[in-house]
Amino acid sequence: MTAALAISSSPRRRWRLPGTATGWFTGWFLVIWIGVVVLPLLIISAFSFFSMRQYQIVYIPTLDTWNSLVETGRWVVVLRTIRFAVSVTFLEILVAFPFALWLAKGCRSDAVRAGVITLLTIPFFIDASSRIIVWRSILGTNGVINNLLVGSGIIDKPLTWLLYSDFSVSFGMFGSYFPTAVFPIFLTLSLIDDDLIKASSDLGGSRLQTLRFVILPLAMPGIVGGIVFTFVPLMAAWIEPQLLGGSQVNLLGQSIQSALTNLNYPIAAALSTVVIAVLVLMLAMLVVSLRGRFKISSLFQSLDS
Amino acid sequence: MTIAVEPNGMPRRQGNRIRRRLLDRVGESSGWIVVAIALGTLALALIYGPLIWLGVMSFSAQPLSGVPYPLTFTHYATLFSNDKWHTPFIKSVILGLMVALACMIVGTFLARALVRLKRPGGVLFVALLPLFVPGLTLGAALFIFLRTTLNLRLGMWSLFIGHMVWALPFALLLILIVTIRFDVKLIQAAEDLGAKPLRCFLDIELPLLMPGISGAGIFSFLLSFNELLRSTFLRGSETTMPVYNWAMASAQQSQVPIVFSLSTLILAITLPLMGGLFFILFARK
Repeated sequence: MTAALAISSSPRRRWRLPGTATGWFTGWFLVIWIGVVVLPLLIISAFSFFSMRQYQIVYIPTLDTWNSLVETGRWVVVLRTIRFAVSVTFLEILVAFPFALWLAKGCRSDAVRAGVITLLTIPFFIDASSRIIVWRSILGTNGVINNLLVGSGIIDKPLTWLLYSDFSVSFGMFGSYFPTAVFPIFLTLSLIDDDLIKASSDLGGSRLQTLRFVILPLAMPGIVGGIVFTFVPLMAAWIEPQLLGGSQVNLLGQSIQSALTNLNYPIAAALSTVVIAVLVLMLAMLVVSLRGRFKISSLFQSLDS
Repeated sequence: MTIAVEPNGMPRRQGNRIRRRLLDRVGESSGWIVVAIALGTLALALIYGPLIWLGVMSFSAQPLSGVPYPLTFTHYATLFSNDKWHTPFIKSVILGLMVALACMIVGTFLARALVRLKRPGGVLFVALLPLFVPGLTLGAALFIFLRTTLNLRLGMWSLFIGHMVWALPFALLLILIVTIRFDVKLIQAAEDLGAKPLRCFLDIELPLLMPGISGAGIFSFLLSFNELLRSTFLRGSETTMPVYNWAMASAQQSQVPIVFSLSTLILAITLPLMGGLFFILFARK
């Protein structure tokens, strides 16, 4: 960290004074931030190696909690959550990549691009429970879709698998995490120099070859970023399965929540540790894919222009 | 994350012409663009369709049924005669304002520091780390840390920490955009004319950074105002607006209609505000 804290030597000596103040501020910020972000994550991982006795934590390292995950069959929940997260993430990237490519390179009008980016950003700022609960009145047995289908005579009886099912949960998840899949891909695609694409076609590359050998490799950090921003939160999704799954779909997020409510801290910690392990793995992938391709400073320069 | 990027430093008109030529090369007539736009629009419809439906159903006699008819204003009338949501609403507003103020101050200093650092990567990574951590996980982790390990009584202050961790990365990114655009020569010129560092900051730097800082303030407020996942663990005995909505929505209570009309009102205020703000930030150069 000390290397990162080194203040840039600017051409003028006068800059040193605000420079050192800046260094102090950054140092303090890092200490506090690590204290409220990294430290809690480390502690909750450590808690999974403790046990509970009469509602008291026993601070002796043990694998009891992890063993009980297997014995009580909770690992099935982990597998089910991974299945959901993988399939929804796959769909997101499948839809997000072409859309981001169009947005970054195909869209002619700046106003349209700004409009779409606006539409993709707004969902971050909307209350999740009211946004998700409306799906009940759309997908329910007497909801919009069933009313339309029965009313038009396509089916006789309302479809029951539309709500409180794997389908409705995946559906809700897809909408929630679409923007987070698009943004990283869009960013890296925007950074690709148009001349590279031009050069590829000038040299006789077909559209598919240009996509395969020029665009895809350069966009890889963004794709990995999109996967990270989709897959990791999906592993801990809670609102969608709770509101749209009824009691039919039990995922990791609900297990963590109910374990915490029942004061079963080691189990909640172990299940959270699974999510944190996935997070660390994914971040490592992201760092590897970023290495040597994009420098963060080059990202800044492109914003600067 | 939410950053508008011009692909290169070219003047816009020239950039557009080249983009159009590129489009011909990539194949304007080819089907992929149609498919891309269609699927993307469908995904956006999955986000905005329910919001519109939420507004429609807030006027419906039975909001959780599929038919908006018969239309009624009863839920709005109940909403205004019911005062149970007042306290959570006020608490959320106060909390949001505190988080916004703190994010504006910390974000400004941090962004100024980052552009002055020789290797900002490490600091930026740590600052943005909470973006990668799922809300539920960080909420649970902070709960175990503050409540169980440190044995503290949770309340507004822990909500504040949880919301800061969520909002600051966004605020920082927004302010970074303006600090990177800021021309250091302006400060040097002012110093040559004899201005003290504080004067330089207040009279020259701050006004130029203000669009980003105020944008960050509004973003942070909205992020805090709508935060649910971290709040459920860190709230202690406090109830914020999203926590109240969640309790009503998940319990399938008779209060659901009120949640519909309340959310519709909040959306009716915030959506145009956000739309305008974003459009100014992204479209105007």
